[in-house]
Amino acid sequence: MITLDNVAKSYGAFQVLKGCSAEIGRGEVVVVCGPSGSGKSTLIKCINALETFEGGQIWVDGMAVRSAQTDHSALRAKAGMVFQSFELFSHLSILDNIMLAPRLVQKRAKDEIREHAKTLLRRVGLESHADKYPIALSGGQQQRAAIARALAMKPDVMLFDEPTSALDPEMVQEVLQVMTELAREGMTMMCVTHEMGFARQVATRILFVDAGEIVDDCPAADFFAGRCSVRAQAFLRFEADHPG
Amino acid sequence: MQIWSWHGFFTYLGSPYIFRGALITVYMTAVSMVMGFLLGLLIAVMKRSQRRLLSWPARFYVWFFRGTPLLVQLVVIYAGLPKLDIRLSVMACSIIGLTLNEAAYLAEIIRAGLNAVPTGQIAAARALGLSERQIAWRIAFPQAFRLIIPPLGNSVNGLLKTTSVTSVISMEELMQRSQILVQDQFMVLELFSVAALYYLLMTTAWDFLQRRIEHYAERPYRRQQQSAAVDPIELPVTTQDAR
Repeated sequence: MITLDNVAKSYGAFQVLKGCSAEIGRGEVVVVCGPSGSGKSTLIKCINALETFEGGQIWVDGMAVRSAQTDHSALRAKAGMVFQSFELFSHLSILDNIMLAPRLVQKRAKDEIREHAKTLLRRVGLESHADKYPIALSGGQQQRAAIARALAMKPDVMLFDEPTSALDPEMVQEVLQVMTELAREGMTMMCVTHEMGFARQVATRILFVDAGEIVDDCPAADFFAGRCSVRAQAFLRFEADHPG
Repeated sequence: MQIWSWHGFFTYLGSPYIFRGALITVYMTAVSMVMGFLLGLLIAVMKRSQRRLLSWPARFYVWFFRGTPLLVQLVVIYAGLPKLDIRLSVMACSIIGLTLNEAAYLAEIIRAGLNAVPTGQIAAARALGLSERQIAWRIAFPQAFRLIIPPLGNSVNGLLKTTSVTSVISMEELMQRSQILVQDQFMVLELFSVAALYYLLMTTAWDFLQRRIEHYAERPYRRQQQSAAVDPIELPVTTQDAR
């Protein structure tokens, strides 16, 4: 589904990504973790070309990301993204937020989009909030709406960039629950997160990133059983001592 | 000669000649504002462009039209265009001058608005596959517009009065018509008081209109659920919208 082949990126002299390679198969749930500033967010944003990179290549369902011929719009329709701070369009109602891209980008029939949007809102438990504006919703509700907005494009893979980091503790669970259901339904997911509980429960694989390198790439069970690098073990101990 | 003539004041206040002058002022303001806004939008977008081929002409435009007096610009248009064999009415020259001048100021206001649109929402729109053009029209412009309504209101208010500068190229708007009557009938205070009253009426009408526009644009940004309970100060405004 996604192939990372030696992806490298620099900001001037600072190398954010030092040749990252990984393979993510259909239906896999891959959690990307690692210390702050290690490049995990940058890496995930390279996949849908929100960030450019100078070295290596990324393939999404056979499409090369770093290529002049690639239709970025088509690429992004395949990969839905959820952001740390939700980024709902503040001037549009929740329903319009969800319907905008399917209408403008995929040019699907309006009735079908509306039905699909309402189904998605029901799925994330927000059907009664369809006509509200983002400001009237709590952080957790906004993030669930943002997930519905990404799903409205019928993506093949969902990318999550620290989806719960900006949330109050009591709202983290409601978002994780939606993500867990999504994973159970077989959605291919790649998720940057510090939620080790979620990783333990849902992830099929863990990528541990440190200083721009993928240090560990192993099944979640191995990772949490301590069969990982020394750096990752230190990270795990730290996260265990500082939950949330 | 008496100091103040109420009779003169009310005569001028009811004078169709002066009233039509005021209508011309409103007309010039409306047309120049709309055209200046569209031109200003184009210049603002050009000025924000990464490409120097676009940003430099825009920077030059703003530099030039903000750096020279409107009065000079009007005279150059009025006296210069006929030499190029372009003959336009005084009204057309006035509107061209006001539009070109206003666009330079509006471009800076619009640019500030565009800069204030959250970059995260632009990234989200990109991640959903929207094209740069779609992002501009669907996300950036609507949000920027809401942010710039107060300074835009300043511009409309200013322009209502700035139109009087077109009297130098003999445009017969409110101020010029008042001056014409002054030269004939010498009631300086009475006439200019009437003119001032008209300007006040026009700016007041705009104040009301601006509040309506602002109220409409702020709709998505009111917390409908809590407005009545949490914010008693906004109660009269928000309750009529709360569902």
